[in-house]
Amino acid sequence: MAKRTSKKSNGTARLSKQDRHTLAQLTELAHSVVRAAERKRDPHLDIPARSLSNVRFNKSRRIIEMGRNTNRRHLFNLNQAKSYMQTLLVAAGCKQLIDQGKTTSIRGLYYMLKHTIKGTKEETFDDQSECDPVIEDLEVLVRCLREELHLYAQKKGDMVGPLVLVDNGDEIDCSRMGSGGYGIPSIVEPERIQFKKCTADFVLHVEKDTVWQRFNEDKFWKKHNCILTHGGGQPPRGVRRLLYRLHHELGLPIYCLLDNDPWGYYIYSVIKQGSINLAFESQRMAVPDARYLGLRSKDFRECELSDSVKIALTDTDRKRARQIAQYPWFAHKKKWQKEIQQLLENDFKLEVEALISKDISYVTEVYVPERIAAGDFLD
Amino acid sequence: MSTAAASSRKRRRSAEQLAAQGRDISVSEFFAKNRHLLGFDNPRKALLTTVKEAVDNSLDACEEAGILPEIWVQIESLGGNRYRVSVQDNGPGILKKQIPLVFGKLLYGSKFHRLRMSRGQQGIGISAAGMYGMLTTGRPVKIISKTGPRRPAHYYEIQIDTRRNKPEILNGRGQGVDIPPGEKGRQYMEQHGIHWEDVPHGTRVTIELEARHQRGRGSVEEYLEQTAIANPHVTIHYTDPDGQQRTIPRSAEVLPPEPKEIKPHPYGVELGMLSTMLKQSREQTLSQFLTRSFSRVSQSVAKKICETAGLSTRARPGRIGRHEAERLYQAIQQTRIQAPATDCLAPIGEQLLLKGLHHVVPGQFYAAHTRPPAVYRGNPFQIEVALAYGGAAPTRKVSRELLEELLQESDARTLRQFLIHTFNGIGADGAERILKASGLGVRKVPAKLRKAEIDKLHQAMQHVNPDEGQTMTLIRYANRVPLQFQQAACAITQAVMNVNWRSYGLSHSRGSLPAGPVTVVVHVASVWVPFTSESKEAIAPYPEILRELRLALQAVGRKLGMYLRRRARVKQQEDRRNLFLRYLDEVATAVSILDNTDKDHLYQLLLEVAKRKTAEADMKLDRSGRLVGPEEELQDESVLIVEDRPELWITRSSNGQQAHGETSETED
Repeated sequence: MAKRTSKKSNGTARLSKQDRHTLAQLTELAHSVVRAAERKRDPHLDIPARSLSNVRFNKSRRIIEMGRNTNRRHLFNLNQAKSYMQTLLVAAGCKQLIDQGKTTSIRGLYYMLKHTIKGTKEETFDDQSECDPVIEDLEVLVRCLREELHLYAQKKGDMVGPLVLVDNGDEIDCSRMGSGGYGIPSIVEPERIQFKKCTADFVLHVEKDTVWQRFNEDKFWKKHNCILTHGGGQPPRGVRRLLYRLHHELGLPIYCLLDNDPWGYYIYSVIKQGSINLAFESQRMAVPDARYLGLRSKDFRECELSDSVKIALTDTDRKRARQIAQYPWFAHKKKWQKEIQQLLENDFKLEVEALISKDISYVTEVYVPERIAAGDFLD
Repeated sequence: MSTAAASSRKRRRSAEQLAAQGRDISVSEFFAKNRHLLGFDNPRKALLTTVKEAVDNSLDACEEAGILPEIWVQIESLGGNRYRVSVQDNGPGILKKQIPLVFGKLLYGSKFHRLRMSRGQQGIGISAAGMYGMLTTGRPVKIISKTGPRRPAHYYEIQIDTRRNKPEILNGRGQGVDIPPGEKGRQYMEQHGIHWEDVPHGTRVTIELEARHQRGRGSVEEYLEQTAIANPHVTIHYTDPDGQQRTIPRSAEVLPPEPKEIKPHPYGVELGMLSTMLKQSREQTLSQFLTRSFSRVSQSVAKKICETAGLSTRARPGRIGRHEAERLYQAIQQTRIQAPATDCLAPIGEQLLLKGLHHVVPGQFYAAHTRPPAVYRGNPFQIEVALAYGGAAPTRKVSRELLEELLQESDARTLRQFLIHTFNGIGADGAERILKASGLGVRKVPAKLRKAEIDKLHQAMQHVNPDEGQTMTLIRYANRVPLQFQQAACAITQAVMNVNWRSYGLSHSRGSLPAGPVTVVVHVASVWVPFTSESKEAIAPYPEILRELRLALQAVGRKLGMYLRRRARVKQQEDRRNLFLRYLDEVATAVSILDNTDKDHLYQLLLEVAKRKTAEADMKLDRSGRLVGPEEELQDESVLIVEDRPELWITRSSNGQQAHGETSETED
């Protein structure tokens, strides 16, 4: 008790509406433990399952929604006791963050909560990989985004383009960011970032930094008046949320240029429908109108690439490709089925960089402009 | 070629000369030269064998007379390597004219010619001990025996004439002395320095011999302790060379049932023996001979044997020739004859064996099993096995003073050897760990340790638990007599090593004794125990005996397995509890941060739930998935469990106690 009041006095306790909501959710979690203990029951948490079996594809909204399946986590179960304890520990940690009006990285939280359990040599968390899934558990459990828990992930993803925005009060002109671009923060909520002026016609999202550099150097965004983003592989939430806002608030169409492999397909799927892991967030992140520009399985032939750029598919690649073809949001799209079928027939994958083998600026000067002009993309 | 060479040389002796050298060898002479055959190989063993033969005889005599035995054993040091051993009993006493024969003639005995379970068999033991004493010190054997409270005590000093195997009485002009009962007699004894524990009847034998007293493995102390296990009806008083007295009181007030004497079984008789019996028989007909000299031969069986052999049932036994005897022998082997009666055996019994073992070996779990009697070569025998598990290792029971004495006495060259040889079952591994913990060098000489070093060693012995490196302690008995030597040559050891102890939860590598804090007691009871030598140290591996041994060992093994599995399960529950307890505090803290609940109150609440939860789990299932109820526990009377597990709950409550290990056995 005393501990908490002291914290309140020295912490900045100005809570936003969102914070109050999150706090209420966390407190409810604690109440359930006390209630169970008072009734001499085994306290448990019902954590929504974060698996393919527990997501539903909402055909009208065209996004993934989380189902009702939950995994029950008991305190008095040998296999679950520790993760139960960890879940509550993370909840308590987040509450302290919110109370103090601070945010921290998930690694920071891991260090904040890591300590030796009294009377033993056991650590509360052995390493961060043990802590991260627990954070995700808590997110789905209290139905709050990571950002709402005052946590952020490692920042990755950059942006350039004719866009002026205000980030935490600072005005930033994304067309004057030099060669580095504007680093997309992990929290891009309207409270943090407001769009001020935008003249772009569309957004081109590329898979990774190297390709993004190519486009930026060739001033592709200037030539075609677009915003250029990348997400460093699987885009973090900040990037996805920003794409969502660019699309919904500014009405910009989103085009994705990703590798021609199952991994690229899945990145597209996440941007478009949301991720399976955190399906409850997709309504705030998914951009169902995003388009898949490339690379396509047919490009090896159409662009007349040399054999040396082929990368053979591995067994996991093949398995993953078949799995993706089965996803309900791909299952009824004939073009996509054909695309994936083609990939399997090719039995090789292609990276976007493969186009460089033709010419250093082939991708920026020929490939993308032609595809956009021809409207040759997958939905 | 050799004959040619030999004939070419000059003959050294003529046949006549050679013949003149040949003469009778007396048994006494033979054994005086071959003392190792009787267990007098070295001074240390000589001491033990002497005590052992005397005690065995005393116990046999007491039991035959129906007296609860009380034995006094006294060893006095006479300086140098001379010792005086006195053993007295409260037995029936020995008749005057028999005393010289019993103690002064080899191969004189009451037990050789009958088939009955007894400790002694051949009638060599005690007279051989006397002879050994005489050979090494030149002092005679002294015997006092009294047959009743009003009867005089007969006092003899006897030597053996080894050449003629005859007793020579030294006192009372070759007649011995009669000491009158009452006060007068007591005075006489005092004057002549004769010790006598005041009992109405009994016998005391005193032998002076060259010997060596050393504690530890194969010692007199060990023999007496082991005797107490297998003979819970015996009280033993022991005075060691330092004058320390120790009494092992009896734990049972009942004498074992008297074993019956039986006639030999036809299957157990060999051809030569059969011929001799035929010659000596006074029976009129072959049929009578067969039915009266053997057990389990009825008229009809006798007839069948005779028919098969092609002999008349009316033939005179004395006239049966060598060929006919052989036919008769074959016929016996071919005829189906009932197994011998087994009431001639008196096993210790599971209950008494458990009691005896519990009395002497500290442990947590005891189990015993007695096999039904079986037969080898026509001799009935019976196997009993008891097992003790857990308890402190022998190294942890030693006091600082005793350790110092043990170190002085030891003739081991290094500390490591000292530890291995002095303490049963700690093994090389355990010894090494103790030495490592003590920080002393492995090669230190035990007798030269300084005070501070002894302290260190003692401390290490107290703290190191040699359980893991410990090998099974095997205590072997034949007709209630402990077998302390030649463990490796014994059928019992073979049987123990051949059982797969791994399936009963012990670690065990092939060709060795299993590891772990286990003591196994094996008792072979038989009318004729097949020893491998006269010193009665190891049992011969007859297949029938090995089979029975295996079955008995497996029976106790199964019980041990059940106990160990149960213990493992209880341990698992404890681990479970500990795990929960560990996290409860964290959970309570987290919750109190979240919603300001009183942390301690919540912790108590959660603790209650935890107790309930694990208590339930304790009761639920055993390893094989069957439902277990507390009422099943300890129903098996051949099992004894001593629980001494430490309390694990931080706060105690009534149901917390119940939650502890009150699970039970189930048969598997």
